[in-house]
Amino acid sequence: MSFFYMKQENKFSTLKMMNGNEAVARGAFEAGVKVASGFPGTPSTEVMDYTKHSYPDIYCEWSTNEKVGLEVAIGASFAGYRSFAVMKTVGLHVAADALGGAAGSQINGGLVLVVGDDVGRIAGDDYNDVRHYGNMFNIPVLEPADSQEAKDLMIKAFEISEEYSTPVILKITSVICKTTSAVAIDETQTYKVSCRSKYKVSFSKVIMTTMMMNAKGSEHPKLTKCFHDFPAEMKRLAEDCNDFDINRLELNGKKIGVVTAGTPYYYTKEVLPDASILKVGMVMPLPAKLIRELAAHVEKLYVIEDGHDIMEKNIKDLGVSVIGKELFPKFPEMTRFTPDIIEEKLVPDAPKRKIMDGIPFRLPVSCAGCSHLFISQILRNHKIKAAADVTCGLIGCFPHMESYSLQKCMGSSIALAHGYNVATDHKENFVAMIGDGGFWATGINGLMNLIFNDSQSTTIIVDNSCLAMTGGQHIASSDFGFNYKPENKLEIAKVCEAIGVKDIVTVDAYEFENLEKAILNAVNSGTNSVVIVQKPCVTKFKLPKGDVYSIDQELCTQCRKCINIGCLAIESKKGEDGKVEIVINEDLCTGCGLCSTACKFDAINQ
Amino acid sequence: MQDTGKNIIIAGVGGQGILLFSNLLSKYYSKLGYQLKISDVIGLGQRGGGVESHFRYSTKPVLSPFIKAGDVDYLLSFEQTETLRYLHCLKDDGIVFSSTFELSTSSVNTRLEKDMPESKTELIKQCGKKTFIIDPEKNKSEDFDISKMMNIVMLAIYAEFRGYAHEEMMQIVRESVPAKFVEGNLKAYEKGIEIAKAF
Repeated sequence: MSFFYMKQENKFSTLKMMNGNEAVARGAFEAGVKVASGFPGTPSTEVMDYTKHSYPDIYCEWSTNEKVGLEVAIGASFAGYRSFAVMKTVGLHVAADALGGAAGSQINGGLVLVVGDDVGRIAGDDYNDVRHYGNMFNIPVLEPADSQEAKDLMIKAFEISEEYSTPVILKITSVICKTTSAVAIDETQTYKVSCRSKYKVSFSKVIMTTMMMNAKGSEHPKLTKCFHDFPAEMKRLAEDCNDFDINRLELNGKKIGVVTAGTPYYYTKEVLPDASILKVGMVMPLPAKLIRELAAHVEKLYVIEDGHDIMEKNIKDLGVSVIGKELFPKFPEMTRFTPDIIEEKLVPDAPKRKIMDGIPFRLPVSCAGCSHLFISQILRNHKIKAAADVTCGLIGCFPHMESYSLQKCMGSSIALAHGYNVATDHKENFVAMIGDGGFWATGINGLMNLIFNDSQSTTIIVDNSCLAMTGGQHIASSDFGFNYKPENKLEIAKVCEAIGVKDIVTVDAYEFENLEKAILNAVNSGTNSVVIVQKPCVTKFKLPKGDVYSIDQELCTQCRKCINIGCLAIESKKGEDGKVEIVINEDLCTGCGLCSTACKFDAINQ
Repeated sequence: MQDTGKNIIIAGVGGQGILLFSNLLSKYYSKLGYQLKISDVIGLGQRGGGVESHFRYSTKPVLSPFIKAGDVDYLLSFEQTETLRYLHCLKDDGIVFSSTFELSTSSVNTRLEKDMPESKTELIKQCGKKTFIIDPEKNKSEDFDISKMMNIVMLAIYAEFRGYAHEEMMQIVRESVPAKFVEGNLKAYEKGIEIAKAF
């Protein structure tokens, strides 16, 4: 660490505590980025927030979805300016077509994709690994091990992008994003943008391979200007990366050798201080010479990588034998590496420590006063079959609520419900619930699709004025945002009307009876219908607290109907005498009153 | 510097000001010239989910952002179910500071799981480590409810226990919290010193 770290220091540098997201934003500033786009997604959302707030010279936008975000960055890069798009790996699945189009094409201004891999969260996306895209599209992937490297590798990513004419992925994990450590900053550095127009055209590989196949040997400038020998560029990079200082061979003891990247590098250093280590800052392509050098130096070679066994496979493809997942089984055995896992497997006689048995689990719960709770409650009360989306409301899928029977990816619920209804000849109206973020992201396509395919379906759109799940970023229908102007705000109802939805109604979530009526009318209308449920996100907009509710213990029969609403404020507690009571936590209660509608015994009152 | 560094886990649930707590502590140790790594692990659910912060300061570069089980010097916990989750991470001579506050878990509320039959406070006391239990209910007075500012109370308790200069810590609080909250926070800090002195 010290070697890499010292190199960054100069007489102007000061040390600043930054988390990984903040450091990536700093790197963007130092690299002279002109355009930042993308879509929120844990854990990398704050990269955009820090870029916008700390470096106002950089144009920032939250785009309607990840694919659009990446396309914006690609366009800006072709104009000659350094640009990046930020998203989580699940979001890159949405943007994968755009990345495939950019991969292997001519790059003017450096193009970097900052992607968050949400490793290690029991409720996160442990099944994704962004490095697959590096393999699939043959593009480089960099991975930092701390905040200093997050900044440095962001800058390096732009240099590689321009030098080898390729988009570059900067992989950051939840651990990098949420860990704070010191970063050397030159406070005197000013913002410098440069324009680099090396290529007059930039076409997808389809056009270029056509040129390659048909125009071999032709020197006609009309043909050669379209031709771009991307396989040769990547071959050159694979050769050059053996000399990159971000790939570092630390030869030490001969017993154990480890190839590692990201924070697992530090776990390895701490647990195996005598091991020889190849720390790669670029995980794709791998420095083959350095790997062979390490393999020749040690008795046993291991690979310690978070996520899937991607480096492992790539090392084995080099003909080098390495021990990876056979010793460290991946998901579900582990969600991410920890120093403990390495110690257990590679340090003889390490003491075993076990967590106490029987500690109850914290199942995700909605915030008290969330409009989703009202919708979940009505769907359950009337046994309406429904699909949920990726939204805070997906908590309604958990077993204590059981409000939804189908839930897949973001923006999917409208098309899922349509498919169900078509297959069942519209005999039961399977309802779609979707958040406003999911609606604008891709859900709107599902709505257009069902209209022009002459289908009938009911869609409940939860309009809480922001992308609540990731902390309240703005969307097309928000009243705020980086580039917000009131005249540009998109109204959900107007758009639904323009698409051709017959029956559209807008209701306030807290007017329980109206909402119930609206949903039942829509479901029974026999035509395509949209119910827009309005209530600003309680957490983002800090709604004023109403008079709190309490439970009269004399009247309470402990039927637990109120608890199954899924509100965080309602608790089952053991009193001083050991008797269980259902109580409302007055600190958390917002006074929305939903629980009082659920109580059949009038025990819940303000 | 006699103290070459320590490993601390700060635990609780969302909304208890744990991130502010670790931020204040990081400013204190930064001023003393220590190297730091602070890793925040936040669960799903903005309110009421478990929050865990691994705080490491050292005179040497800090390597792993996560503290290995068995390497924790101090467990500072704001919620007692969360305290139980990390007891096994403590060193043999590790020390626990735990609030008796408890936010019942959703899985128990909804009967997906049974709660532990034992008293959680007793389980903590009997864990075989040095423990300090703080009861916010017993320490609140009519005009001042410390339960809302347990992060600052805990900061004062920890500072008193470690023999740190309170004036320096209070200065960091003054510089870090919005002006309208300074007075209340400093009052909570004083209360924390009082509680620590009574241990």
